[in-house]
Amino acid sequence: MTHVVTDNCRGCRYTDCVASCPVACFHVNEVRVYIDPAVCIDCSACIPACPVHAIVEEFDLADDQQHWIRINAEAAQRYPVIRARLPPLDGADARRQQLGL
Amino acid sequence: MSTHSSETLVVRGACPQDCPDTCAFLYHVEDGKLVEVTGDPDHPMTRGGLCVKLKNFAEHHYNPDRLLYPMKRVGPKGSGMFERISWDEALATIKSKWTDIIAQYGTQAIMPHAYLGHQGTLNGLTAGDAFFNRLGSTVAEKTYCESGSSTAWIMTVGPTGGMDVESLAVSKYIIVWGMNMLNTNLHGWPFVLKAKAAGAKIVVIDPVRTRTAKQADWHIRIKPGTDAALALGMMNVIISEDLYDHDYVEKYTLGFDQLKARAAEFPPERVSDITGIPVVDILTLAREYAGTQRSAIRQGVAVERSPGGGDAVRAITCLPALTGAWRYPGGGTIEMPIWEFPFKFDFMCRPDWIPPGTRVINELDLGAALTGAMPLDPPIKSLFVYNSNPVSQAPGAGTIVEGLQREDLFTVCSELFITDTAKYADILLPATMQAEQLDIMVTWGHLYMHLNQPAIAPPGECVPNVELFRRLAKTMGFTDEHWDLDDWEMLRRCYDWDAPVMKGITLETLKEKGWMRLDVGLPDERTPHATGDFKTPSGKCEFASSLAAGGNFVVPVWRSGYEAMQPGTPVDPVPNYIPSVETMMPDGASAFPINLVSPKPHAFLNTQYANEPTQQRRQGEQIIVIHPIDAGPRSIEQGSYVRVFNDRGAFEARAEVSEDVSPGLMMTNVGHWPGLNRSGTAVNSTTSTRHCNLGQAGTYSDNRVDVQRV
Ligand code: SF4
Ligand code: SF4
Ligand code: SF4
Repeated sequence: MTHVVTDNCRGCRYTDCVASCPVACFHVNEVRVYIDPAVCIDCSACIPACPVHAIVEEFDLADDQQHWIRINAEAAQRYPVIRARLPPLDGADARRQQLGL
Repeated sequence: MSTHSSETLVVRGACPQDCPDTCAFLYHVEDGKLVEVTGDPDHPMTRGGLCVKLKNFAEHHYNPDRLLYPMKRVGPKGSGMFERISWDEALATIKSKWTDIIAQYGTQAIMPHAYLGHQGTLNGLTAGDAFFNRLGSTVAEKTYCESGSSTAWIMTVGPTGGMDVESLAVSKYIIVWGMNMLNTNLHGWPFVLKAKAAGAKIVVIDPVRTRTAKQADWHIRIKPGTDAALALGMMNVIISEDLYDHDYVEKYTLGFDQLKARAAEFPPERVSDITGIPVVDILTLAREYAGTQRSAIRQGVAVERSPGGGDAVRAITCLPALTGAWRYPGGGTIEMPIWEFPFKFDFMCRPDWIPPGTRVINELDLGAALTGAMPLDPPIKSLFVYNSNPVSQAPGAGTIVEGLQREDLFTVCSELFITDTAKYADILLPATMQAEQLDIMVTWGHLYMHLNQPAIAPPGECVPNVELFRRLAKTMGFTDEHWDLDDWEMLRRCYDWDAPVMKGITLETLKEKGWMRLDVGLPDERTPHATGDFKTPSGKCEFASSLAAGGNFVVPVWRSGYEAMQPGTPVDPVPNYIPSVETMMPDGASAFPINLVSPKPHAFLNTQYANEPTQQRRQGEQIIVIHPIDAGPRSIEQGSYVRVFNDRGAFEARAEVSEDVSPGLMMTNVGHWPGLNRSGTAVNSTTSTRHCNLGQAGTYSDNRVDVQRV
């Protein structure tokens, strides 16, 4: 099992999640982060840290979110590990408001 | 206590589990109900997160299967048929049974059985010691885990805390030896990552390519049970290439010449044959380890789980004194820092009450003790189980079940649930969970003291262990002052609050803050053995142990404080490589060709939480990991159901075919409840009850089996 970062992360990239992860399993690209399922230890420490509720435990994914398991696994191979917080992207707050969070 | 919002009360607590992280809890309570348990974000280890195992900890308190009232058995033994009774009836039954047994067989016909199902000062490992010592029962040696390492550590460096896990952050070379930290010490891992980000090399020594091994810079696959040979091989290289710290060795160690002679017996070629590690890797490891200062070794308990495991821990523990690693912050070795805490074991265990000459029975020999395979006079006529679940966790489960079925055995279990062991009880007593009781948590993985304060009322008629033993003492007519002390007074007497490490720590400050660090120096500066100061008889790191003269022993904390009746079997003063019995059998000498190791599960804490559906989903069913070379000829494919067996027993599991294990090696996990498995059995039906060479520890990793598709 694992945890996955879903669509809410896109365009925000609040990286509070990264600071809470004990095993450095987040990977980052220009717009968002992904979790490496081979490293994630399922502790859920990142879930409450994310201000836009982007992170979901695999078993809690809705049917229409299942594809995020594969997307996270593949993207984690492609993008570098992120170990420390980054400033949120421009427009992150706007997106957060748009999501109603 | 503080008020979080208008409705939520936040109470400080700490994790009760046998895990080195001892996390700082925040209990969130609404209308008297525990709604959530979170990690304290301000605690340097916990850092706001718990772990997968404790994810549904609040709900666990409300599990509908919880044992809430005393019960008596109404069906055949093991049928799980019980009927509610009152505490008065339960206690009266125990008294009358025990009184008869004592009259006929004496007090030693009663045997307690406990381990670390709870890790509190009042309710944990030693909760029943004072009571059973007062009763004069057989002394039970509780050596499920860590006892071999404890003896080895004390023989080599004495009861010192050693290195602080937080000091790993400033290490430059870290060897994680026999531990899957990501699964079982996850709050220690951020310090490893910090060191790595600052350029440290991370090496993992493990027979299995674990999650942790995958994260390391270098994974060294070692054959189970051969760690002593590797450590001695490293010493061989370090000494012959003159990479050791002459000054440190001369001033702060004892027995270098003897160690040198022993290491000379372990040239890299021989070590390679034994361990399965290429010669070049042995050379590189030794040179890098000795050549990089600020080197640290994080020892895991896996090292002790073989017949020569005790000497392996001794050999590994010698390494940082040989290279002088102790001189530097971030240098040395971590085994368990528990020895830093100023416990008053004499009060906690009351060994002064043990009648002289009382016998000792090791808990891992429970099956033989109950069935009569071990000749005993008097026989065991009553067993009292708390904080433990031997049918799942002890080796040789089949014999234990056979013993528990004895009609003339009176078994009492204090439990949270009707476990595979509790099923065989005559009387069941309901125990509290962590949010319902007061305690100071014992920790073996960091240097903080934690107070766990009750956040909710106990349900039904559950009582904490400390109260259980008070009630039993009164029932048995004991009138000592000990049984009139309340929990706070007991806590006050369990620690030496005036010890230097307790500077600033009082029960009052703990009440307010929840946790406090011992005054032992800061992690990035601390060098406990820069100038020796080992807690051995010589004050030095003893390569040649002076305690060896007394023979093998179990550290008294694992045996109710009892000093007498130690095993006393001869021990070589200098650590040696003692081959495993089953693993190292030449091919063809055993009918069972594969070695099986059984580390801890990911989503359960030993057996705890393994009855929670959410955790079962996270952990998955019982699996074995098997190499394609072993799977192929047996027609075992990914997902096939298999039967794992030897002459001791069998269990069924789903196969995962993977090169994470080597050919000839399989891995499964301990912790699944046998009764919830397909076969009604689990891995300990196959393990042997042989003991490790030191401290009577279990040898779960020395287990030859075969496997077939079902
Ligand atoms: S905190 Fe949430 S939104 Fe921000 S990077 Fe992490 S997952 Fe994405
Ligand atoms: S669940 Fe834990 S390990 Fe997994 S990504 Fe979140 S914080 Fe990291
Ligand atoms: S089991 Fe260990 S890691 Fe998990 S909450 Fe308890 S102490 Fe922390």
